[in-house]
Amino acid sequence: MNYGYYPGCSLTGSAHKLDKGVRKVLEKQGHVLKEIPDWNCCGAFEYGDRNELTNFSKRNLEKARGLFSEIIAPCPACYKNLKEADENNEFEIQHPLDLFGEAFLSSMKQVHDLKGNVFTPYYGCILLRPRETAITNKTVMEDTISRFGGEIASEKVKDKCCGGNQIFINKFATEKLSRLILEKSKGTLVVFCPLCHMALKTFSGDRKVIYFTDLLLYIMGEKNTL
Amino acid sequence: MQKTDHVIDLAGYKKEDLTVCLGCKICASVCTVNDLSISTSPQELLQTLFLGKDISADNPLVRYCTGCYRCTQACPWDIRIPEIVRALRDVLATGSPFEKAFKGSLDIWGRVYEPYVLLKAVPFLIKEGYLKHMNRWIEYMGIHLPHKVKKINPSNNSNGQKGGTL
Repeated sequence: MNYGYYPGCSLTGSAHKLDKGVRKVLEKQGHVLKEIPDWNCCGAFEYGDRNELTNFSKRNLEKARGLFSEIIAPCPACYKNLKEADENNEFEIQHPLDLFGEAFLSSMKQVHDLKGNVFTPYYGCILLRPRETAITNKTVMEDTISRFGGEIASEKVKDKCCGGNQIFINKFATEKLSRLILEKSKGTLVVFCPLCHMALKTFSGDRKVIYFTDLLLYIMGEKNTL
Repeated sequence: MQKTDHVIDLAGYKKEDLTVCLGCKICASVCTVNDLSISTSPQELLQTLFLGKDISADNPLVRYCTGCYRCTQACPWDIRIPEIVRALRDVLATGSPFEKAFKGSLDIWGRVYEPYVLLKAVPFLIKEGYLKHMNRWIEYMGIHLPHKVKKINPSNNSNGQKGGTL
């Protein structure tokens, strides 16, 4: 499959590991990712004026018009903004998590398994809410972990908010919300959102916080440690 | 009154859209701000806005809303309160130094260049005690150079002038 790829700002910066992970995992399965040429920031959630915000994503879609019909956007904020800007459903905007379905997992070449490891899958807010733009494959992390022999921590924190949005505004809020998640979870935290990764990693101490793609790459044998 | 309409308009709503609010306060019961031990009610915010009364920048929701959309998920009418809060923040000009740096980066490059954002917000970061987290951040941050996005030709942009500010 050929996909248009929209990495977004954080995947070219602090979340470069996620960028590499997504590219590698999808390329290994025979998909071709091509960046949307000259893409700009989606505006994240910093703009109060909705028109102004959607115009950022509309420009990106303008750039993709005629080149791609399907677009992949790994960052939850970019994914949501792009999906909302595409009012006439001209493009099929997909989140990588939706691609990692049953067919993907069964065709994966397994090198390592996850036996003896405890994981807490954590999706965060924007992947699961609001309804219209949420991902459809809402148990993909749990499915993957249990399929390859990992143990899932019993307490469910997957849809709690880590406050990542507030990390540079009200640190105390982010610290409290992230610590609540860290206290309630066990083992390695598996995340997908770059902001959740940043917030949880900042306050995690010795606990491991990894991207879901790291987990897939480990199972595939691309990485030797988690 | 006009200011109220402006806020609702910025959030992409019309005033009639908010009249459907049933006042059930389910949004208040699920709000993430409650986890911070701060009591808040998005429904009251909507009501105040609808009645055209002033909302202060000290309102807990204006200050602490994390935009998690838990209220929208719970709301029988899917009212997007986080977007109304963002519009309110815009009107009340409560932008933090970080937000200003973020928008500044977009004005220069059309993309967020993280080192620039961090540098711009240095006084704020020192004052609020973020420096102790620096070691942590350096662990996973990569080094890259800024990339400038080409200017938008306003005639190509079918959606008004604002997109042309990039």
